[in-house]
Amino acid sequence: MNNTLNINRLGKVIKRDGAGFAQNLGLALIILWAIPVIIWLFGNMTPFNGKMDPFSRLGIIGTLRNILIIIAPARLYKYCNDSRQGMGYAMMPASSLEKFISMVFYCIIVAPIVYVVGALAVDSVLALIGGSYEGFAVPAYLDKYAQLKHALENNMFLSEEDYSSVSSSIFPSFFITSNILSTIMLSSIFMFGNMVFKKHKTGKMIGILILLSIISMIAFINYVSNHETIFQSMNEDNATDVIKRMLHITAQASIILQAVVSVVMLWGTYHKIKTQKY
Amino acid sequence: MIKINNLDFAYKNTQVFRRISLEFEKGNIYGLLGENGVGKTTLLKLICGLQKPQHGEISVDGLTPSKRQPQFLQSVYFLPEEVITEDTTPMRFVQKTGAFYPRYDFELFNTLMKELEVDLSKKFNELSHGQKKKALLACAMSLQTDYLFLDEPTNGLDIPSKALFRKVIAQYCNDETTVIISTHQVKDVENLIDPIVILDHDDVLLNANFSKITERIFFEYGPERLENAFYTEMLPGGYINVMRNVNNEESNINIEALFNAVMKNKEQIKNLMQ
Repeated sequence: MNNTLNINRLGKVIKRDGAGFAQNLGLALIILWAIPVIIWLFGNMTPFNGKMDPFSRLGIIGTLRNILIIIAPARLYKYCNDSRQGMGYAMMPASSLEKFISMVFYCIIVAPIVYVVGALAVDSVLALIGGSYEGFAVPAYLDKYAQLKHALENNMFLSEEDYSSVSSSIFPSFFITSNILSTIMLSSIFMFGNMVFKKHKTGKMIGILILLSIISMIAFINYVSNHETIFQSMNEDNATDVIKRMLHITAQASIILQAVVSVVMLWGTYHKIKTQKY
Repeated sequence: MIKINNLDFAYKNTQVFRRISLEFEKGNIYGLLGENGVGKTTLLKLICGLQKPQHGEISVDGLTPSKRQPQFLQSVYFLPEEVITEDTTPMRFVQKTGAFYPRYDFELFNTLMKELEVDLSKKFNELSHGQKKKALLACAMSLQTDYLFLDEPTNGLDIPSKALFRKVIAQYCNDETTVIISTHQVKDVENLIDPIVILDHDDVLLNANFSKITERIFFEYGPERLENAFYTEMLPGGYINVMRNVNNEESNINIEALFNAVMKNKEQIKNLMQ
């Protein structure tokens, strides 16, 4: 008998975990799908007739997706490290690797995909109705993306607000990789938190992340203030090049960081599944 | 076969087992007895792989429980004392769980549910505590694992349910199944368990079957208290005296009296049974 990975057994674990997916995450999904609808309704009720562009809406969907990623592990696998209620999970005749793969499958792949697909469908319906939503999100995004790419390839001037999206246009592969990696990283952090903490799992992990953010921000400010020469060398002629170079370095560093954090957190989660005592 | 060799285990600063060695042979219904807090549940958790020994070895048919390999996990089932159920019916629960166990028998589950008089249509949270326990027992037995560990299974059961519990365990456990019943309510499992294991704080005081026990210990039911008895207890109409079986006489075991005798004469009885 293969005690590490058996496809048939993995299928059973995925089926078993999937049986609780709708029950445990269904309400959260519905609430998060409903938020864009509430925003749309609110927009229609205000007297200013303000229109919400597709990019703002995609930003909201992205934020809500991240909220779902944050809460999914604790909703789907709340009891797996509980000293009493987690015994059934530990005693389930499957290997730690199979349990881990199933957890990754639902937290990193299924939950965000289900949310994003549903949210885009809701957004499309609302855009079709009209009102405060203007234009379809996905075609508008792809169009803007092509425009930015064209502008950069032809050394055209970029408006200030376009700088925020510039990194995704400079490196299309970076954009995709970074987006996937940031999803994996966020999910893996909260999967690990779910295995480490027994109570207030999500809250504790958010607290730790806030603390780490403060520390890294202080470190970054320190670094920048010690390397002022980079900015002093910038002028109107080379500003785009300097910013491009900096974005390149930042992009590479963030990809490496995201990959390292994801691997460490995923390994930690697997290790906890394997060695958790009850 | 379960082999425990030189096992050490402690929770933080509380030592539970110190160098204990023990064996459980296949096909028996063991009674694991001991006072509250001696480590009966901990021992079952160690055998199931839910805890890891700090020192020593545990092997179940040659497999190490703490590795929690699927091959091991599908040969054991642990029914904890505390009833923890999901928001589902016992039928759905057993179907979901049974998929992982090669000898799982849904028909047996249905039969056991009927015998234990549990309503099949109700969800766990609609059942009483005793009903839940019986439903989980039916689930556990229908998986037909080689090893079944029951932690205080009769706690919360009413008198008829206790009788039903004894009946299904005796009737449906085959010769290949090893059952370990951890309990401090010895009367509930009388006429069911054989052999008996008595645990003490960091020691095993007794691990013997009935024939070995009666070969060496004599249970005398009479009108008077005997001076040379390990333990004497007043019963309606007389006394029970637990004493050394010097004349090789046959007697019926009274588990409660045996337990009290062992607890009061730990070293003497331990040496006697070796």
